[in-house]
Amino acid sequence: MDFQSCVNIKKEWDIVGARQLGRDIAGKVGFGTVDQARIATAISELARNIYLYAGTGKVCFETIEEINQKGLIIIAMDDGPGIRELNQVMEDGFSTSGGLGAGLPGVKRLMDEFDIQSEQGNGTEIKVVKWLR
Amino acid sequence: MNLTIDITKQDRVTYVSLVGEVDAFTAPKLKESLLPETKEEGQTVEVNLQDVNYMDSTGLGVFISALKSTKEHNTELKLVQMQDRVYRLFKITGLTDIMDIDNTVRGGM
Amino acid sequence: MDTLKVELKNYKELMQEYIKTKDEQSLYQAEQFSKQSMQQNISPEEIINVHIEALQDLYPNMPDYIQSSLSFLLETMISYGMAYQEYQSLRERQLELKSEISVAANMQKTLLSTVKPERRDLDIGAISIPAKQMNGDYHHFVEDVDGTLGIAIADVIGKGVPAALCMSMIKYSMDSFPEMRMDPDVILGSLNRVVERNVDSSMFITMFYGLYDPENHTFNYSSAGHEPGYYYSKEKDEFEEINPSGLVLGVSSETTYHKYTREVAIGDMIILLTDGVTECRQGDRFIEQEEILEVIREYAHLPAQQTVEHVYKHFERLQDFQLRDDFTLIILRRNV
Repeated sequence: MDFQSCVNIKKEWDIVGARQLGRDIAGKVGFGTVDQARIATAISELARNIYLYAGTGKVCFETIEEINQKGLIIIAMDDGPGIRELNQVMEDGFSTSGGLGAGLPGVKRLMDEFDIQSEQGNGTEIKVVKWLR
Repeated sequence: MNLTIDITKQDRVTYVSLVGEVDAFTAPKLKESLLPETKEEGQTVEVNLQDVNYMDSTGLGVFISALKSTKEHNTELKLVQMQDRVYRLFKITGLTDIMDIDNTVRGGM
Repeated sequence: MDTLKVELKNYKELMQEYIKTKDEQSLYQAEQFSKQSMQQNISPEEIINVHIEALQDLYPNMPDYIQSSLSFLLETMISYGMAYQEYQSLRERQLELKSEISVAANMQKTLLSTVKPERRDLDIGAISIPAKQMNGDYHHFVEDVDGTLGIAIADVIGKGVPAALCMSMIKYSMDSFPEMRMDPDVILGSLNRVVERNVDSSMFITMFYGLYDPENHTFNYSSAGHEPGYYYSKEKDEFEEINPSGLVLGVSSETTYHKYTREVAIGDMIILLTDGVTECRQGDRFIEQEEILEVIREYAHLPAQQTVEHVYKHFERLQDFQLRDDFTLIILRRNV
């Protein structure tokens, strides 16, 4: 049932590619226009973080189809420097003040589940889930 | 009320000329402009207060900061042409004894 | 007026009504709708989506370019929606902080509270009113077993939380001094070292410390750059400035303070205050020292507590009931 595909993020243009693939998959899962737009925005934020702070990485998509619920998992991973102050980047008003857009708290609000793992020097992995309602 | 800060440099002397009131609203701006000037070793910072008709304790705090900074960075701070009302504040707080203050132009207390 | 419920699901009817009538009433309902949507945390992109769905429903043959342009609009609204939600969460946090500050203000009040002694030999009046939520002025009375009365009056520059934290530090330092009676100059010297070590460079404190000795009827005092007080001599019927020299606390660790002594006759008054009293302004005009003394003289026949309250009310009215700075006034009068 699982369907996995990834987009490598190396240049700014790849952000668009990731959005496009994510939106297509979301549409197939059955998400409406608004949720598709939100998912695309979340992908943008995740992919832009990779492009700006890690240099390279990838964004992967996986659909969930269980008996009683359907959903979309997005995983963004990189081998960049990692995030030292996780509690700070998850705070409202922290990254936005630097003009970076919604930042990770925004991604968390756009999606239903949010998980982040990061170690200094060992990269970052962010996993988010949106459930179809 | 506002505060205008004008800074000019000549050799080893920085002339800071203030016009207006130094209070809780204008003190942060003064601190931001004045403190860096006291950090260049060997420099003398001369602040002209001829056109400052009011200063409150927050303003006094800025000059205390500046004084402490001159001691750390081996610079000098001079306050000149201070008005009587402002001079009274420096006198009461005992700062006239430890600061280089010249109020001869307008007359002292 | 139409009683149509202002809800997301009624958007279509509201819009249809407006397209038909183009009247102000429908627009007023649009306003109600937008307010209620905000209360229910509905993002702008959701409203646009409802708009698109309503249009599709009402006009099934809507041209493709309108459909696409609306999808484009929806996409551009996503970030505004996120910003709005962030604003909501920051606003909640601001309310939290505000209530925390008010809890802190109450704690400060309790921490710094002092009991005005009731004595047969001295009539004491004290008033301290903050200009804002937290008081940057401080006064404290300490009585010894032998009846010696210590009075501290202080003013931290700056207001709000930093000033309050600083005051609590002073209070605890004073509480930690040995039980035995200490001279004012020694107390100020110790406090100066505490403040100098622990406080930001632009912060300082002014303090006047006085000790009344009931046996010899003397008043010993020292000042760390504090606003001068006044001494009223009943015999001469004159006020005189009490202006001991001394540097404010927290500027130089090497400073020492001098102790001054004066004899207090029956009926004499000692008046201590902060610059919130002397810096009173009537419009652009500062109040002169003579005016303060005149007002005190006017009410001096009353018990000391009533005197300070009347003086406060006088200056409060003069400044249109808007204090610019914390106001503290203490009067001591020797009865016997």
